[in-house]
Amino acid sequence: MMLNDLPYPDWHEGLTIQGVIEHMNYTWPKLVTKVNGQLVWPEDYGNVVLQENDDLKIHHLLAGG
Amino acid sequence: MIKMCDIRKYHDVDPAEIQRMKEAHVVLNHVDYKPQPIVKGYTDKILTIDVTDASVKIADIPAEVKEKFTGGKGYCLRYLWDATNANTRWDSPENEIVMSAGPIAGITQYAGTGKMLVCTISPMTDIPIDSNVGGFFGPYLKFSGFDAIELKGQAEEDVIIVIDGNKGTISVEKAPLEHMDAHLMGEELTAMYADNENDRKHVAVVCAGSAAEHCNISMLNFTFYDPNRGVVRLKQAGRGGIGRVFRHKKIKAVVCKYQGIKNDLNNVHDISIINKTGVKYHREMATQDPKQNNMRKIGTANTMKILNDYDILPTHNFKFGGTPNIAEMHPQVFIEKWLTQGAADGCWYGCSMACAKAADHFELLTGPYKGQKVVVDGPEYETAAGVGPNCGITDPQVILELNFYCDTYGLDTISWGTMCAFLMECYENGILNKERTGGLELNFGNAAAALELIHLTAKNEGFGKIAALGSHKQKELFIKNGWGDAAFLNDIAMEQKGLEYSEYGSKESLAQQGGYGLTNKGPQHDEAWLIFMDQVNNQIPTFDDKAEALYYYPRFRTWFGLVGLCKLPWNDVVPENNALTDEPAKVPEHVDNYLNLFYGVTGKKIDREELLVMSERVYNFQRIFNIRLGKGLRKHDAIPYRSMGPVTEEEYLSRQERYDGQLVTKVGFTKEQVAAMSLAEKMAETRKYREGEYEKLINAVYPKRGWTMNGVPTIEHLKKIGMDLPELIEIVEPLQNLEP
Amino acid sequence: MKRLVKDESLCVGCHNCEEACAKAFTKTEDRSKACLRIEGMAKTNDVQMRVCTQCGICASVCNTGVIQQNKQGVYMINKKECVGCYMCVGFCPEQVMYYVDGRNEPGKCTACGICVKACPVGALSIQDV
Repeated sequence: MMLNDLPYPDWHEGLTIQGVIEHMNYTWPKLVTKVNGQLVWPEDYGNVVLQENDDLKIHHLLAGG
Repeated sequence: MIKMCDIRKYHDVDPAEIQRMKEAHVVLNHVDYKPQPIVKGYTDKILTIDVTDASVKIADIPAEVKEKFTGGKGYCLRYLWDATNANTRWDSPENEIVMSAGPIAGITQYAGTGKMLVCTISPMTDIPIDSNVGGFFGPYLKFSGFDAIELKGQAEEDVIIVIDGNKGTISVEKAPLEHMDAHLMGEELTAMYADNENDRKHVAVVCAGSAAEHCNISMLNFTFYDPNRGVVRLKQAGRGGIGRVFRHKKIKAVVCKYQGIKNDLNNVHDISIINKTGVKYHREMATQDPKQNNMRKIGTANTMKILNDYDILPTHNFKFGGTPNIAEMHPQVFIEKWLTQGAADGCWYGCSMACAKAADHFELLTGPYKGQKVVVDGPEYETAAGVGPNCGITDPQVILELNFYCDTYGLDTISWGTMCAFLMECYENGILNKERTGGLELNFGNAAAALELIHLTAKNEGFGKIAALGSHKQKELFIKNGWGDAAFLNDIAMEQKGLEYSEYGSKESLAQQGGYGLTNKGPQHDEAWLIFMDQVNNQIPTFDDKAEALYYYPRFRTWFGLVGLCKLPWNDVVPENNALTDEPAKVPEHVDNYLNLFYGVTGKKIDREELLVMSERVYNFQRIFNIRLGKGLRKHDAIPYRSMGPVTEEEYLSRQERYDGQLVTKVGFTKEQVAAMSLAEKMAETRKYREGEYEKLINAVYPKRGWTMNGVPTIEHLKKIGMDLPELIEIVEPLQNLEP
Repeated sequence: MKRLVKDESLCVGCHNCEEACAKAFTKTEDRSKACLRIEGMAKTNDVQMRVCTQCGICASVCNTGVIQQNKQGVYMINKKECVGCYMCVGFCPEQVMYYVDGRNEPGKCTACGICVKACPVGALSIQDV
């Protein structure tokens, strides 16, 4: 599985987007998340199970003052 | 939790004292004028005051200037250029402080529309500094008939300048008695020029603070009166030592009074589009902010913990990206214990983002105001991070106290924080010691020493005299004195072009290294803040991607300062459907809001590309201004190694896994080779690699920006953007083929 | 506290209240310029009424401090001092404040009762609660 175009070494069966967010300690609230190019809304982060060859992008919207 | 409804009003100043102060004024010049009405956001007038002879001049701003420079920072730089020459330094009488608000400034229907831009030739960098600031002064000056004000010359005794936009009067007065510290002078002048309590919101004051008499890192405070608390609040044009220039001219304050604020004082072209855009944005703040950044509850300091989580929060002079004590300064601690909740904290009318938070009736524990209860504005993120973890301090109470004293003494919190962190690292490395500091034990985390140092700096006593210099001159002094190793000092002093870094650790983001290093005024994040895009999101992996970002964002972000806008409402909240857009990072709907506001005010329809060109003209003008004053070439864009990579062994070891890994994945060693290297070898290879990457980045950025490899704008590019002005060509022409 | 009280079960969705309010304060027939909103269809029995509850959020977001409660507890706008920023319009949880292009001050329910008189079925009343 790829996370933001880099290999994600901790993929396992049943891993959800929420699992990745917690594992990576992504604490920022404004995330734009896509799996294989498809946008996933925050309420579905816990439901979307990631496959081994998925392309996951979790982009933080944060750009400083 | 402290709630606004429970806040009692602040004690009033003594009217007899104010009367005494006022009676001591001696009018040096008094001018009556007819305020120019504003048409579509512009008065097309500039006010020039020469404090040498107290003369007052009002002049037209030519159409060509408006066309090329738009307003705000554009006007400031244009007029500063015209007033100065290649030999002008910060303390030359011809150096000016120019302030301009921009065409959109002063509308009340959208968030962040009260910004003033301030420029001068800086005592820290010897090139133009630009700083943006909220508060009431910018809009009030425009309503009083002026798109810009120039302050020049040098007075013999302390003067204040008073502009009354309703009466149409300008006076320059000797003013000997008002206190120098900003929280006092702000109150005194506000009370002095208001007819009654309700009238205080019509008075705006610009002043510095007592440290500005002698300290290079001094700023300007801009007041706004908070009618709900009954107190004067302070916003800062913080960067680059503008306060020092102000006080060198012996200007004590500039006061502007205007009453009758309504939402169409700009006589806008199309109020309907402004109203509609504004209410849409206010609604977005109401519904989205509680789910996103909580700007209304805590302001920009909401990001303290976040940046700690992502290893970006500068800690111990940027050595590390976070602190184990972060829980002490969790946003929730500020919300629940310190910052008053439920207050309408906008620093200009209509700011629904309302990030100007305050701690009320805060009891000071040190310094000349010990025991007094004051309002503390902030802390903003930069302040909290700079005077806090970067100096090893994580106690919110200390951070608030440092914040208060920086503000009232007139010290830039960013420069103060970064500089103090540098001094602490010097102390811990024996470059400084108790003998050299006059007994101050400047270890990281020594809050008492940090507070003592700030008071000494304000009084210009003891080691405070050295603190007053700023990092760049401190570094030179230490090297001259033979204190410490020059190479090490150059690595750890987090300054470039003479300006201290703002508070983001850029080591792990090459794009952000460029975001700091490839700036006009010095390492401030307001041009390009790319850490997350680069380091976390990996959205700009190639040199070309990074260069494109370092071309786009400085132009986009410069525009705010041309038109009188605050940047925070652009991206500190985003529309609910922002994720569905092509480029969420650019917040396209908000960009369209800005195009609508610009059209609504000026009647001029521009598209996203034209917006960028407006900025690009001013951006290149500023670059050439730097060159005119002896900086602005490639060598001046070099950055300290601390901002690029690990200087010390402890830094390397704190991220050893990452750095060892990169020697394999990026530099090209095998795992076995890395395993066989000594720590010193690994650090040397990492350094060689990272310094090389920064040079490659520059090689990619300059051509994008239309500059030579030496960082000089090409004549061809200046022609393309309509900036082939003779005075610019004269400077860049001989440098077109000069190798770096 | 004096305020407008709704009874959705009685509302027939005729919009007379909105029209009366808009006419009285903005001299238009434009129902969006009224201090209350009637939405949905009476036929399908899903009419929703939104009225000002005098919750005071408009006053709390105002940094000019010009929205204050009068003796009856009604939040009133001091038009002379209002700067026309419309934050109150955007933050009103019931979305029953409005603005009119060219008029500085927003519109807010003063519990005047004009809408009550216009309602043919008694779905609105002014009460002291």
